[in-house]
Amino acid sequence: MSKPEFVYVTYIETTPEKLWQALTDGDLTERYWFGHRIASDWKVGSPFRFTHPQRPSPAGKVLISDPPKKLAYSWIGCTEETRDEQTSRVTFDIEPRGRVVKLTVTHDDLDERGKTLRGISEGWPMVLASLKSLLETGRPLPAAIKEELAHG
Amino acid sequence: MAKPEFVYVTYVETTPDELWHALTDGNFTERYWFGARLRSDWKVGSTFEMLRSDGTISDAGKVVEFDPPRRLAYTFVNLSDKYRNEFPALATFVLEPYGKLVKLTLTHQGFAEDSRFYSGISKGWPAILSSLKSLLETGRALEIPYAALKFEN
Repeated sequence: MSKPEFVYVTYIETTPEKLWQALTDGDLTERYWFGHRIASDWKVGSPFRFTHPQRPSPAGKVLISDPPKKLAYSWIGCTEETRDEQTSRVTFDIEPRGRVVKLTVTHDDLDERGKTLRGISEGWPMVLASLKSLLETGRPLPAAIKEELAHG
Repeated sequence: MAKPEFVYVTYVETTPDELWHALTDGNFTERYWFGARLRSDWKVGSTFEMLRSDGTISDAGKVVEFDPPRRLAYTFVNLSDKYRNEFPALATFVLEPYGKLVKLTLTHQGFAEDSRFYSGISKGWPAILSSLKSLLETGRALEIPYAALKFEN
């Protein structure tokens, strides 16, 4: 049986540079990633981590940093339930398509029966929908989602 | 080997009624669906068609569920020779209010294991649904070059 992976594709009216910034700048992730700030020097091999005032956040290491085309980092689970699962990997591919940008998020190396797979399968569509709204309208998706994530 | 199934979830800042209209009104679908106009009387069992801008039919199937503004399901397959041996697979849209948002879940299933149409829709839906979200939130659909979908892989 093949290992599970989660792949999500979205198209955003923005530039590759702005999308790269949105993925790597804590001031921006805090706005659309429901309060989670990301921080790293974004050099390959460097650590990165999310921080949130109330909630546990994922962390890992930068695996690929090729702005504004490809970003990848390892992902260590953030809740008590997922902390013992194997380290997974998140890859962002950023491709210009005419006046829009195609973003492909691939989350792989997941535990087949783990809770991380279930959690991220719910989480990525929300986070990426909010990211798209922020870049296109200047506003992330409203808070209703945030509460749901808190219970997720 | 598992039969292929395509699932896509997105969240749109709109109302279920507006999203329902966007999914079923041909004048509206033309704006975000690469020019495709949907045509049906939306009665369960009725014909469902997608029309190109010149009025010819590109895809056809039948309405399976019509429960506004919650569940919409229809079968369809592209009528070009490329997909001659394929049968219509089932696309189901579930609309759920989510605070000030609507959660939209699309499940497209019932493909043969080696379906070429499946690989086509897997590229098409993310573009169509991204454009739909943009149109409802900003008033403008995305200008995604259709060629960008074809030239991949």
